[in-house]
Amino acid sequence: MIKGRGLSPGKATSEVVVCDQLISPLGEISRDGFITSGPCENTNIIGKILAFKGGRGSTVGSYTFLELKSKNIAPAGLINEAAEQMVVTGAIISEIPMVDRIPLDIFARGDRISIDGTSGEVTISDVKERKVATVYLTHKGKLLLLKRSDTATSFAGQYSGISGYIEEGETPERTGRREMMEECGIRDASLKKIGNVVYVRSNGTLYEIVPMLMETESNSVKLNEENSSYTWISEEQLGSHETVPKFKETFEQLKFRKK
Amino acid sequence: MKQLLLTKEEEKIFDGEMGEAPKIAIRLLYSLGELGEADRLIPIKSAHISGVSYKNVGEGGIRFLNKISHKVSVPTSLNPLGFDIENGGPVDIDENFHKKQMEIVEIYKKMGVMDSFTCTPYYYYNEPSFGDHISWAESSAIIYVNSLIGARTNRESGPSALASAIIGKTPDHGLHKDEGRKASVVVNVSDRLDYTRFAALGLFLGAKLNKKIPVIRGQKSAEGIELKALSAALSATSSIPMFHVEGVTKEYRLICESPEVIEVGKGDIDETIGKNSSQQEPELIAIGCPHLAPEELDYIAKLVKGKRKVGPDLFLFTSREVKAKSGDAVRTIENFGGKVFSDTCMVVSPLSNNYSSTGTNSGKATFYLPLKGYGNQKVAFMGIMDLLKWVIA
Repeated sequence: MIKGRGLSPGKATSEVVVCDQLISPLGEISRDGFITSGPCENTNIIGKILAFKGGRGSTVGSYTFLELKSKNIAPAGLINEAAEQMVVTGAIISEIPMVDRIPLDIFARGDRISIDGTSGEVTISDVKERKVATVYLTHKGKLLLLKRSDTATSFAGQYSGISGYIEEGETPERTGRREMMEECGIRDASLKKIGNVVYVRSNGTLYEIVPMLMETESNSVKLNEENSSYTWISEEQLGSHETVPKFKETFEQLKFRKK
Repeated sequence: MKQLLLTKEEEKIFDGEMGEAPKIAIRLLYSLGELGEADRLIPIKSAHISGVSYKNVGEGGIRFLNKISHKVSVPTSLNPLGFDIENGGPVDIDENFHKKQMEIVEIYKKMGVMDSFTCTPYYYYNEPSFGDHISWAESSAIIYVNSLIGARTNRESGPSALASAIIGKTPDHGLHKDEGRKASVVVNVSDRLDYTRFAALGLFLGAKLNKKIPVIRGQKSAEGIELKALSAALSATSSIPMFHVEGVTKEYRLICESPEVIEVGKGDIDETIGKNSSQQEPELIAIGCPHLAPEELDYIAKLVKGKRKVGPDLFLFTSREVKAKSGDAVRTIENFGGKVFSDTCMVVSPLSNNYSSTGTNSGKATFYLPLKGYGNQKVAFMGIMDLLKWVIA
């Protein structure tokens, strides 16, 4: 379950149609239920859960949803990354459940999903959710990268931070410290910051990652079998390493986002 | 998150004690206030409502309007509809469209809304002052009054502006506060732009900026009419509620700390215009999106005065009030063979009933007219001088 923000009440379950674009419901959604421009041109949205970046254009766009609803060809639900008033108005007056603050890249083509427009919850059917803590460990301006072993069950051979599944009853920080001990033999580090949750979809699994920044006094690392090698790198060197999905942008977010 | 607190009186409306329509209205405002994290409703001085053309409102919309029908409590102007009520045109309308359209007009009339039928109500009908809190729909008018006049409105939808007009209030968030009016992007534009190139800048930036408020530098001699073209194009392609122009608009000093910086060159503008212009001769030249100001009608009248008309039809769009006050210019244009319509425009009338290609200098029309199942037009987007070359012998 992914928690977004509920904007228009009601529940819906259907196939998700993901349109990685802004949409003007006036003109860019036809009165017979199709997207008319952009990457999703000619896509049928009737009875589907339409996920798109957000609304744009005409302030009359709200009426498009009402018109589709009155013809029984409205989308079953709406999801936005960041909603604005016109689409939300359309959802409310047309009684279509709507949620925002949901990243679009957590969905795969053909996913069947459920949304709850009151609680803001979105669930993808047949997808395993795994909660993960990832430690970005620094030492005197250098960042620790671990190369995942070639036999790892996910993202084999790619560079990552110190990562592990969050176990029942464990806080993300506790998981981070446990993994740091197990994977690197490091006991002491100070927590600098816990970042916003990042979602990574990989086939049938959705990883919910809690990233955190820690600083250690010592640069000695003792690997276990989960990783094949390690390296301390400067920020400039990060670009040339093949890392796990969203690793680099998450590091940027951790470093720069002000409280 | 902040909780939106209603006054005792507002609670009563919320609970339906004042009737069904005000209840629907205040509940919509409440939900949108929560979305914007407002903590209260504030009084407004005026409203402007979009959602008039039957082409856009539809059957579902008519049902909604009937449900929410109630006297408005502040001066409220209204957007254009699908044809010119008094003179007919610009295109053939079937009986059903005419009937449904007049039904919508009657619902609004009963609510006490002005029969302005224009997207530029800030000319004559409903002119806000600097600092006024208002609740306006019509994307091009919202961005114009925020930016050029310094009135304060969020990007209201047709239904939410109507809800505000009934209640006389709007949720206090976003553009109603200084913080929500700050630019987060600096856009450096090197060449001095004219009307059509400002429209092209709007199309170019809208797709790039999404909802960020820009401050435009390098256009200190920009005129109101040109910025009206920018307003319409920028707001058609984004959800941007406001822009600033250094040295021109009133609040251009409102900028965030460390804004992003974008350079826009001559090539970007040329490319935007080129991409949107088919080279064939269009069947119709349509000017007036947004509706024309008196000085625009005068300018066009001068260009066509005493000339002989050839080629495509020439249609101009404005409001009743502007048309009435620009009698000489209108006569000159009509003597030339052009037509001046009020109450309607090329976007909200069903243009494809009579035409399949249109030439225009409007960035907004250039966005909407080509869309399948909506405008269904091939579009030639170019400057007014180039458009008039097709119709002047």
